[in-house]
Amino acid sequence: MNKEMTTNDKHNRRINWLHDLPFQTILIAFGIVTFFPLVLVVITSLKNNTQFYQSFWLPTFPLQFNNYEVAFSRIWRYIFNSIIYSGSAIILVGALSSIAGYVFARFKFPFKSFIFLGFITLVMVPSVLTLAPRFIMVRDLGLLNTPFALIIAWVSSGLVLSTWLMRSYFESLPQELFDAARVDGAADRQVFFYVSLPLARPMIATVAMTTLIATWNDLIWPLVTITDRDTMPLAQGLMQFSSSFETEWGPLFAGYVISSIPLLLVFVVAMRQFISGLTSGAVKA
Amino acid sequence: MTTRITRNSSDLHAISATQKGLMQRIWEAKWLYIALVLPLTLLIIFEWIPAISALYNSMFIWNGGKVHIFVGLENYENLLTDRTFRVALQNLVFFVFFRVIMQTLFPFFAAEMIVNLRSQRWTNWWKIIFVFPMVVPMILNFLIWRFIYNPQVGLLNQTLELIGMGDLARAWLADPNSAMWALSFVRFPWLPTLQFLIILGGLQSIPKEIHESSQIDGAGFWRRMFYIDIPMTRRQITLAMILTMLFMTQRFDLFLVMTDGGPGYSTMVPALQLFQSAFNFLEFGYASAIGVVLFVAMLGLTVLNLKVSAGAVD
Repeated sequence: MNKEMTTNDKHNRRINWLHDLPFQTILIAFGIVTFFPLVLVVITSLKNNTQFYQSFWLPTFPLQFNNYEVAFSRIWRYIFNSIIYSGSAIILVGALSSIAGYVFARFKFPFKSFIFLGFITLVMVPSVLTLAPRFIMVRDLGLLNTPFALIIAWVSSGLVLSTWLMRSYFESLPQELFDAARVDGAADRQVFFYVSLPLARPMIATVAMTTLIATWNDLIWPLVTITDRDTMPLAQGLMQFSSSFETEWGPLFAGYVISSIPLLLVFVVAMRQFISGLTSGAVKA
Repeated sequence: MTTRITRNSSDLHAISATQKGLMQRIWEAKWLYIALVLPLTLLIIFEWIPAISALYNSMFIWNGGKVHIFVGLENYENLLTDRTFRVALQNLVFFVFFRVIMQTLFPFFAAEMIVNLRSQRWTNWWKIIFVFPMVVPMILNFLIWRFIYNPQVGLLNQTLELIGMGDLARAWLADPNSAMWALSFVRFPWLPTLQFLIILGGLQSIPKEIHESSQIDGAGFWRRMFYIDIPMTRRQITLAMILTMLFMTQRFDLFLVMTDGGPGYSTMVPALQLFQSAFNFLEFGYASAIGVVLFVAMLGLTVLNLKVSAGAVD
């Protein structure tokens, strides 16, 4: 009997495998086309120009690892800046939106819906409408060419969706939990820090990831507010970088590879949150 | 003590709340207001004032500085007769139409392949594989595709030569006949991540029993796709389409980086014209008017998006 089961299992696996075969074939073809440009960039990043013009498609030897040294010395500053800027934005958005979301979700106070409307209506306002006047505002505040121009603007646009997400999350938590904490003698502040925040960890991760992707990829806002090279974030720096290596393909592509590493690391470490951070961007497009 | 929302024992609070005056209730909630002051201030300064300023200044000629002249609706009238704006709108319609089809069809097809797999392990792997290009900074997508379209050493022309169609090779971005097409295909084999995840999520939420019973009834792959999968992921497909439209209407970094609207005005779009009016020509009033037009055009889509996305993404 036992033996019969295992042969049956094997048989099933064979059938499943055969069933999957046509779909797998198409997906593999799709996968190859997807990764092909990336692989070519990596291959080219290890060539010097002579090798590049000799052989376009295949890797050539010796591999030019010093391309990476050259590229890194020019691009590390932008990556460093971006990590600082996006990091600050993430911390601020996370802190402010979880507090505001909590206040909106769990308390009743005069003018609450009016104030909440002040947050939520902004979901309808596209960034393209506010771009020019916001530049004027930042200029008049004297923030041009400072990291604050980026961080503060990113935080405020990130807050709109994040507060909404946090509020919905805190609303979905059962009231009994908070009652229990209060019965145990916890003060408001303690309930927030020791009960609510730990529970909201998945949502905070989503908010952090949404903010990371949005700020990391923003190009337009830095273009209008930052002109000083040492202050530029990665997206803008890459434009500078690519025009300074116009026809030196090796170092150029080495720089491209290097600048993809930070998000790659985040992707590997926190895949689930990365993906959920992507989909919650659907609400504010 | 502040009034707290309670579900079971709210009577006591409710009674005391109605007995207290408004000022007293505000005073009691002071910490809550203080908690909201910082985020609210940020939103007012960097969102509300700019948004209102755009509406207001669209009725002025304004260089961003001292020149500030009221002209009523003249900016809007000028937009009606502005040839650049008309070309930009036509380009946008072409671009959005093309991208909506492409960015719905391919993700749907890939997702359909994935949900058809019986191997659970591979289902997850493929999802990860197709999301992977997201780690490449957005600007690099454009720069890599600029290389692909490079007339001398670009990947596209090299491939054409390799397969013996070298006479089709051209300067894809510099040729006004091909520039818009080339831009439409940027990032092409890479699936649009958001749309892909939304559609895949929709397909995966179809109960297994429905697929099993359709199989018993003898429905093949195509019948199942047209009679079960497409109707049952209607919301997700709609959402993917609306999102593509919203993205494409307001995002112009692609155009700015790859062609800057050229050659001529063959790849100009309204959002890029807004950017150029404001930051190249210092016509902030005119730029604001373009912004308001785009805002109004997008408003319906945005409302629709909020309605659909509330149910389609979990």
